Amino acid sequence: MIAFERFTLANGLRVLFHKEPATPMAVVNVLYDVGARDESPEQTGFAHLFEHLMFGGSKHIADFDAPLQAAGGQSNAFTSNDITNYYDVLPAHNLDTALWLESDRMLSLAFTPKSLEVQRQVVIEEFKQRYLNQPYGDAWLQLRPLAYQKHPYRWATIGKNIKHIEDATMDDVRAFFKKHYHPGNAILCIVGNFELATIKEKVAHYFGNIPAQAKSPRQLTAEPPQQKFRIKTIQRKVPAGSFYYAFKMGKRLSDSYYLADLLSDHIGNEKTGILYTELQRKKRLVSEITAYITGSIDEGLFVITGKLNPKRTFEELEAAIWPVLAQIKDKKMSKSALQQLILKLRTAKAFQDQGLLNRAMNLSFFELLDAADLLNTESARYEQISTTQLQQYAQELLDKNRCSLLQIQPK
Amino acid sequence: MSKISSSAILDRSVAPPLLPIEHISFVAPQIMVLNNGAKLFWRNGLQNETSKIELHFAAGSATNDPLTASLCAGLLINGSSTQTAKQIQKALDAVGAYYDVSLSQESSVVTLYALKDQLLKAYEVFHESLFTAVFPLKEVQELVHSRRQKYTVQEQKVSFQAQRQFQRSLMAGSTYANLIQLSDFDRADRSQIQAFHAEHYLKGLKKVFLVGDLSTEDLNGFEVLLNAYGSDIAERAPFSWQPEQGATHIEQDGALQSALRIGRPLFNKTHPDFCAFSVLNTILGDYFGSRLMSNIREDKGYTYGIGSHVVENTKFGYFVIGTEVGVSTREATFQEIQHEFERLKTELVPAAELELVKSYLMGQLLKSADGPYAMLDLFANVETMGLDLSYYDHYIAEIKSVDAHKLQELAKRYLNWEEMLIISAG
Repeated sequence: MIAFERFTLANGLRVLFHKEPATPMAVVNVLYDVGARDESPEQTGFAHLFEHLMFGGSKHIADFDAPLQAAGGQSNAFTSNDITNYYDVLPAHNLDTALWLESDRMLSLAFTPKSLEVQRQVVIEEFKQRYLNQPYGDAWLQLRPLAYQKHPYRWATIGKNIKHIEDATMDDVRAFFKKHYHPGNAILCIVGNFELATIKEKVAHYFGNIPAQAKSPRQLTAEPPQQKFRIKTIQRKVPAGSFYYAFKMGKRLSDSYYLADLLSDHIGNEKTGILYTELQRKKRLVSEITAYITGSIDEGLFVITGKLNPKRTFEELEAAIWPVLAQIKDKKMSKSALQQLILKLRTAKAFQDQGLLNRAMNLSFFELLDAADLLNTESARYEQISTTQLQQYAQELLDKNRCSLLQIQPK
Repeated sequence: MSKISSSAILDRSVAPPLLPIEHISFVAPQIMVLNNGAKLFWRNGLQNETSKIELHFAAGSATNDPLTASLCAGLLINGSSTQTAKQIQKALDAVGAYYDVSLSQESSVVTLYALKDQLLKAYEVFHESLFTAVFPLKEVQELVHSRRQKYTVQEQKVSFQAQRQFQRSLMAGSTYANLIQLSDFDRADRSQIQAFHAEHYLKGLKKVFLVGDLSTEDLNGFEVLLNAYGSDIAERAPFSWQPEQGATHIEQDGALQSALRIGRPLFNKTHPDFCAFSVLNTILGDYFGSRLMSNIREDKGYTYGIGSHVVENTKFGYFVIGTEVGVSTREATFQEIQHEFERLKTELVPAAELELVKSYLMGQLLKSADGPYAMLDLFANVETMGLDLSYYDHYIAEIKSVDAHKLQELAKRYLNWEEMLIISAG
């Protein structure tokens, strides 16, 4: 049980506080409700480029990192298709430093042309390092636009085209900040050994006078239901064929998210999962295979991925995998198998909840989704699931007409 | 607490006052000596349900046959005298347990995670699998096969190529230079894996780390099981190596980036210069505001990231800078790294920068000591080197006292470009 307090400032900033008496450290997490899905199709990669710029100095503070490091702390951030999340971890007695830094960059960035030029270059190198100069590095850059045709999930956080980053102007950057970076669009979470009254006082002090701004409504193009199987084969300089079967699943808060999560664990496990036992062990078609879900806020993907064995073909895999998926739809999981999955989730959650930073990030994310309480109540949603529901859901999920298949073939 | 109140006027251009870290307490684990001489270290006081047991074996990959060491580690929980791989996995699933095996050059660390009331039950299954592993031929073949394929993927990465060449040249003349090659996979042999297991696992258990609020009965249970195993492997022969210097480039057609590794032999924390060098290394390249990051990423935009590190083994240590840069900025990056070496050798580190790095290192140490898991890792880091927790008090004192002159002296001694091994790939 992760206990927390919640309050909201007059300017709309939502604040969560979780007291942890056992630590000498503090975590300050600031989640902004903006991700790659909020970008225009002509300016992709912006939310992520912006995350880099947030470290380039703010209105009153020339350098973000130096004061935090001098306080014994460090900071980082990540951008997803849904959110941009910043965090600072520092000795608790220097909490003010993190609040001072985060509040100033929420108020306004410095916006220097130099910072934009350099971070543009850094992001281009990141694009090369992570997506282009790695075997299979661009798989998701290819898979997204195959699986999503209308929804902005069709591009990756790095952007669909390096040119969008190259072309970003100071005006674009300013407009992006103005639209998305304000108290009403943020959730602040503080974890550490503090009193609530102190936290309220400090948060009001640093964040209270940041002007309020109306939250701009989000109008995303919905992804129309997929009616037909999609397949795309690309050739790359890779040593082995690689495949991604991506099925449409529900939104993060839908019941189907929990069903899909359990199902992916069940069929994707090494040694015991059916994908492994049938396709790797018995038929020797693949050298590795697993299943996972993307878990995005809007309609996500349930992905079965792996690599072909040498001399085996995509056609052979195609012929073999659908009968295996049919077996999953036909056969109900045993009650004990389901109980084991739930117990494994409990173990994993206990370990995740151990980390202070995890707690801060998860509280913030759940608050954005609905309410931070979900962190404590979500386990119950798994525990209510029956084997019948899982089977019914498998039948709905593993429909070939709702599948997009990306194949990467060795050149 | 702070005297700030919300009614006070906030001057955003003034940084809040900083407080130094007054004290860090380092808590030793309880130590139990097993019948066979191996030691069991236990930490409790978690106030949550998590627990783990971690077994350290003298079964690292710095041998004449690194592939056998690697396959053996990968096959430990894949079939025992009484159960198949699948049965073992199901039995672990039934108690909600996870495990991982991590192989380094010096040791193999096998860790089992579970909720505390399930840990002993899970370990009973695990223990039997580990110590009566039979390495079924089918499992061996499957792993060889998938490892070979993973290797061919790795081989395409410039970072992998540069790292391997660096290790091979730096650690030349020692078993640490022996790395898995593609052709090794054709010679993989089950009987060698069995022999390696008998020698390095059945006789190679060096120590056990246990974390969790476990009952006395459970603790006894672990002790009884573990008492049967221990280490009677003779100490390795004295370590010797002939590290190489100079530049080597590995060309890869069509690469967009070059991976760089630049380094030299150094020392581990048993050396008197270690603490002061840690400060110098941090200034140069081991935090986000470091000189390499500020210059090569934040000023020039040549890379997504660059860092320098001191890597420690029990017998030696080395210094290494690693980065991936655009191919066209490779030479410029070399120039800038040399420039940063020169600055450290010719100019004293400004007081503000030195103070910042000292505070940063203290904050990081405080974080590293936060909670039983982290604390036990800190303990393990010194225990491996034959030191105890008092080392950290010494480290704090050294960090606090080191001055700019000492850092300059160390830069002159250890950061000479012409003494570096310089590898680039791509």
